[in-house]
Amino acid sequence: MNIGSGFYENLKMAFATLRSNKLRSFLTIFGVIIGVITVMLISSIISGIDTAVKKQVEAFGTRSIFLYKFNIGVNTGKRTQEERMRKPLTMEDAEAIKSLPTIETAVPFLNITSNFFGQKILVTGNNGKTSAAVRLQGTLPDVEKAGSEILVEGRWFTQSESDSKADVCLIGATVVESYFPFESPVGKTLEIGGREFRVIGVLQKKEQLFGGGGGNNDQSNAIYMPIGAALRLKPYADDLFILAIAKEGKLEEAKDEVQDLLRVRREVPYGKPNNFAMETAASIIEQFRSISAMVFMAMVVISSVGLLIGGIGVMNIMLVSVTERTREIGIRKAIGARQSDILMQFLIEAATLTGLGGLIGLLIGWALTFLVRLVFPSYVPLWAPIAGFFASVGIGIIFGLFPAWKAARLDPIESLRYE
Amino acid sequence: MAKEEFLPSTKSVIAVPNALISMRNIWKTYQMGIEELHALQGVTFEVQKGEYLAIIGPSGSGKSTLMNLIGCLDTPSKGQYWINGNLVSAMTDDELAQIRNKEIGFVFQTFNLLARATALHNVELPLIYAGIGSSNRQERAKATLASVELGDRILHRPNELSGGQRQRVAIARALVNNPSILLADEPTGALDTKTSFEIMALFEKLHADGNTIILVTHEHDIAKRAHRVITIRDGEIEKDERIR
Repeated sequence: MNIGSGFYENLKMAFATLRSNKLRSFLTIFGVIIGVITVMLISSIISGIDTAVKKQVEAFGTRSIFLYKFNIGVNTGKRTQEERMRKPLTMEDAEAIKSLPTIETAVPFLNITSNFFGQKILVTGNNGKTSAAVRLQGTLPDVEKAGSEILVEGRWFTQSESDSKADVCLIGATVVESYFPFESPVGKTLEIGGREFRVIGVLQKKEQLFGGGGGNNDQSNAIYMPIGAALRLKPYADDLFILAIAKEGKLEEAKDEVQDLLRVRREVPYGKPNNFAMETAASIIEQFRSISAMVFMAMVVISSVGLLIGGIGVMNIMLVSVTERTREIGIRKAIGARQSDILMQFLIEAATLTGLGGLIGLLIGWALTFLVRLVFPSYVPLWAPIAGFFASVGIGIIFGLFPAWKAARLDPIESLRYE
Repeated sequence: MAKEEFLPSTKSVIAVPNALISMRNIWKTYQMGIEELHALQGVTFEVQKGEYLAIIGPSGSGKSTLMNLIGCLDTPSKGQYWINGNLVSAMTDDELAQIRNKEIGFVFQTFNLLARATALHNVELPLIYAGIGSSNRQERAKATLASVELGDRILHRPNELSGGQRQRVAIARALVNNPSILLADEPTGALDTKTSFEIMALFEKLHADGNTIILVTHEHDIAKRAHRVITIRDGEIEKDERIR
């Protein structure tokens, strides 16, 4: 028997059977559909987040070293006793790092988003808008050299403005949108924590990890001001983050030097772990990668369960189908179908059933990724639909094998007599 | 294909018979618990090409068992069965399937058409299993349907056809692969008298065209239309007479 034409004939017969049992077929492949949708959605989210994280972190520069008293990146669970006891980094730390030979510059960022009593500092614009969600950071003029923020309009503050604790500020793109939607903000004023600040510069919009809303994750919802001015808004502020930029090609050496320096300055005993966090773009990306690997595993589990349920459904319905069509099998055998013909017929029918479920799942999943895209930056990696489709076809073949084998082994005489 | 040494009952080498069908000392024994039931006990006969034979017998006579053996749906417990030079009694299931496809055209009492398939597809089925390509297949199926006067009904499904028309679709299906034998099992059992006559007339025409026909029935009226009648009783041939 010609395998090619036999395959085509079987496919045609399979579709005819599915058409005559539409509802039952759909219910059968529901699990497969869910499984494939899961693969599509989660893989698109993972790839989206992966890319966004990479872009965002790399926007800080591949020579950047991030220093903070707590872990940077992803926090899981509560901080330990030791972590809660940690002293903050200081301006002097930043100064010392800056003078290391492998370091080009080091910039401190003092976070004063909430004041001493844990209350948020309010930012009020002339358009009457008030917000407590703007990230407020005090920094030094060196920030210009660090390259972590790109100026699109106006200028950075000068050393003398910094020294004189001038009430000037630079604002992120989101702040521009909410306070100065129709005008150039440069030269205008904002009321921050009851003091009037003059806007002297506007910063470029940053790649957002989670879209919309202007929440805490919005890197562009930020205001930068001289550290002195920040300390006036929040006198004992000590939530300090340091961005150090290594000299070209010296990142690894710089990391060692910075680590040694901070261990000495923070009096870490020999053999004890660091009591501060030091990350680079690469290491933060690595952190996210390990999380996305976990999410990926979860996806594999969820979609496997879906596909397994789908597979059992397929096996069940194929067994019913074989019983229902015992007479048909008898007829086919009487007129010359061999065991392998019957086996192929039912296998192809099962694979068509689940393959169709796979395709439906791909379409629904693909449509849903457009919805997801409104919230997450996501795209569908090529392997996801391919893997989804082949997995569903494979499920059909695996779970269709037993029913098909039963069908193939039916006795023609008894089958013809079957009512 | 024919491996005589596998058959304990035939130690001596036997020449391939010239007859289209040759049954030699056929036994079929069923094990019913501890008892052995001999459905056929040493049946021997030959059928030449172009014969029109009726096999008649009451129910329980072994008639159906014999039909299943002739139709290669089953193999004998003992004895040799040759069809068109092939020793069927020594064949595997898949070889039997191929013989059924090539040599036998079945016509059943209840038509046994695929309910969801059109007349054309039903008639095409044996050709699909014969591995014949789509266009050639359709052509042959259409021509065969036309020869049983159903050329204008090829896209009808069985439930859109009358009993007589269904049986003619079944006959077309039986004929389409040019089998050696047309094997009909009570072909008029589900039809009214008038339609039965039409179908029997069709069999006569097919016989006149050179087809070999074996009719299995319990009705003497139907058997009388054949040229030779074999009567089966208690698993043995009681009578084998040429009536025309």
